[in-house]
Amino acid sequence: MTDLLHDARVSRGQFLRMMGGLGAAAFATACSTRPQTSTPSGGGQATTELKFIGVSDQKTPMDQLVAAYRQAKPAVRITASYAPTDQVQTSVRTQLGAGNAPDLHVVYPGSGSAMSMSQIAEAGLLADLSAQAWTRTIPEGFRPAFQLDGKTYIYSAGSSVIGAVYNKKAFEQAGVEAPPTTWSEFLSVCDRLKKAGVVPIALGAQTPWVTQLITYALVPSTVYAKDPSFDDKQLAGQASFAQSGWREAMEMYLELQKRGFFNDNPNGTTFEQQTSMVATGKAAMAVQVSAVLPDFRKAASTPDDLSMFPVPGADDAAGVWIPAGVVVGLGAGAKGANVEEAKAFIDFLGKQENINAWAKAIAAIPLVQDAASTIDPAVESFLPFTKDRAVPFMDQRWPNAEVQPVHFAVIQELLAGESTIDEALRKMDEAYQK
Amino acid sequence: MTPVTAHRARPARASRRRFSVTSPPWLFAAPALVVYAVVVLYPAVSGVVYAFTDWSGIGEDMSFVGLAQFRTLLGDEQALGSIVNTLLLTVAIVVVQNAVGLLLALGVHVRLRSRALLRVVFFAPVVVSPVMVAFLWKYLYNPDPSSGLNGLLGVRVDWLGDPSVALWSIAGMVIWQNAGYSMVIFLAGLEGVPPELHEAAKIDGAGTWQRFRFVTWPLLAPALTINLMLSTIGGLKLFDQVFAATNGGPGYATETLSTVLYKQAFVFGKFGYSTAIALVLALFVAAVSLVQVYYLRSREVTA
Repeated sequence: MTDLLHDARVSRGQFLRMMGGLGAAAFATACSTRPQTSTPSGGGQATTELKFIGVSDQKTPMDQLVAAYRQAKPAVRITASYAPTDQVQTSVRTQLGAGNAPDLHVVYPGSGSAMSMSQIAEAGLLADLSAQAWTRTIPEGFRPAFQLDGKTYIYSAGSSVIGAVYNKKAFEQAGVEAPPTTWSEFLSVCDRLKKAGVVPIALGAQTPWVTQLITYALVPSTVYAKDPSFDDKQLAGQASFAQSGWREAMEMYLELQKRGFFNDNPNGTTFEQQTSMVATGKAAMAVQVSAVLPDFRKAASTPDDLSMFPVPGADDAAGVWIPAGVVVGLGAGAKGANVEEAKAFIDFLGKQENINAWAKAIAAIPLVQDAASTIDPAVESFLPFTKDRAVPFMDQRWPNAEVQPVHFAVIQELLAGESTIDEALRKMDEAYQK
Repeated sequence: MTPVTAHRARPARASRRRFSVTSPPWLFAAPALVVYAVVVLYPAVSGVVYAFTDWSGIGEDMSFVGLAQFRTLLGDEQALGSIVNTLLLTVAIVVVQNAVGLLLALGVHVRLRSRALLRVVFFAPVVVSPVMVAFLWKYLYNPDPSSGLNGLLGVRVDWLGDPSVALWSIAGMVIWQNAGYSMVIFLAGLEGVPPELHEAAKIDGAGTWQRFRFVTWPLLAPALTINLMLSTIGGLKLFDQVFAATNGGPGYATETLSTVLYKQAFVFGKFGYSTAIALVLALFVAAVSLVQVYYLRSREVTA
């Protein structure tokens, strides 16, 4: 190797010129990879290229609808890329901060996360969608998730629910005929499942977001059924986690653990392991959000064995409420070069048939329903609740992005036996007030 | 080798050298320094400004808050807890990784037939991405008694789910990955120990331990300096493995300064505070490294 270098007859000057050439070439390639925004296409019309960055859950519906938009409007090309939630949060926030946000990007409904509608809209980085026709059909109860100061900044195709994803075969084998409708029935069903030798509830609490689902499933009954205006009172400083049904929900959560209804070591178990436990019948159910039903079905040999029922958080069946949250959506950057085109795409997504298509792809309940809307049979048992006994996911009304991660952490501490409910609720109240 | 003849054949080239051999001309480093300044120094220094503001990371709303972010840090239970975790992790990694690395280096330094293969095997984990290693180990750390490490060892440990074990489980996988790196550096040090010193010691009647203690060990000092410094820096700024394996949990049991500053910036939307933590971390790492190098250099000897 050294011989070769020494024998090669390249002078220092030649070498430097070569390196310079390489540098220039690299620079030229780097520049040429920038998206070309206006290349002439058929019919002499200019093509607009829109960039979208979303989370993985959005890939299936977006692929479908981007293709449909291509048919409807060939002059606009949408290039989409997807990543897991954490990564999107990092990259899109950085781009927003640097002032080169994509034309369209994922936005979380409400106010409780760093990529939420309120937080980005407050910074003036989301385009106002209020003029679009579909925004006038947003159901009253969902408005806080879509709107800031009366203006709509996010598109979402509908809502998903949190409930128990259960394996019908495992229930049958334990002699459980129908899903429980009250809390005591729920406990006795768990008991029967346990006696039949199956893990009643799979819990993958090592995956942070999974920790919150059981509290979210119970709090509508223990808090909001008794006081539907709890969120407003809490925002006004007149209510707190510690002095509310949150305490009861946490006690119920831990009672499930105390009675041995969870798998061993929930803190060391991941979402993927939880999914496969239910899909294979090793566990009978998991409290989950309906948006991940496709994951459970993929892991099951007979997907039809899986269905869902609302987790009854009260002993009076009429006092059972359910969590139904607006699913993750998207918004248009306010500062891009193609704001109008980006808004036009969102207007297209707002058409009833497209709301239906998006909702169907992720087993969600369409935002607005018509005769053509389909609803996944697994979530049908939730429909009687959606009208007047459903509340948005709690974090969608939380004032900052810190409460939710604190909730994750305190649940893990409680499951590990390293904390008390008092301590946990105190930490959540502290984070809420920040 | 032909370099000498090649130079003799072209004396004109040799005469063009205007710089002395002993002090390498700084001009040669200039292109690299310029790139370093533009790509590393300038962004780093311009980022420091944010530590004195309350910027959220997006939007134009930002005001100068002086040292307020640093005062917040002093009263932040979580951040302070993460400092303790970071220090514990660093000590565990520095001690065990270098001890294992040294033993491996001594092992593959002897004239074994399979030593080339063994060197490759021990070094292999180093080239794998830390995030991949964390995902692999998540499988090994499965709490199920019949699978992963539990199945292998016949124990029932909730490796990543038990708050009193999780931190050490992370240390374990970091050590597994990086011990090979320490080994290679120690190995380079061992190759540099002149065999005649060992011979002389043998003639003087020194046993294996004495030869290690009085010949090999002092001469390994430069390798030790590098290893201790690299593993200390690596431990203090550990992020990837923690983030991928536990994301700081269960609870806050494995939160390190790096994961805290990441969360402040990208999860909580407190870019200013996050930058302040990053600045403190950077200064701390620099201070520790300087002290370490100063002390360790003073005990280095040459053969």
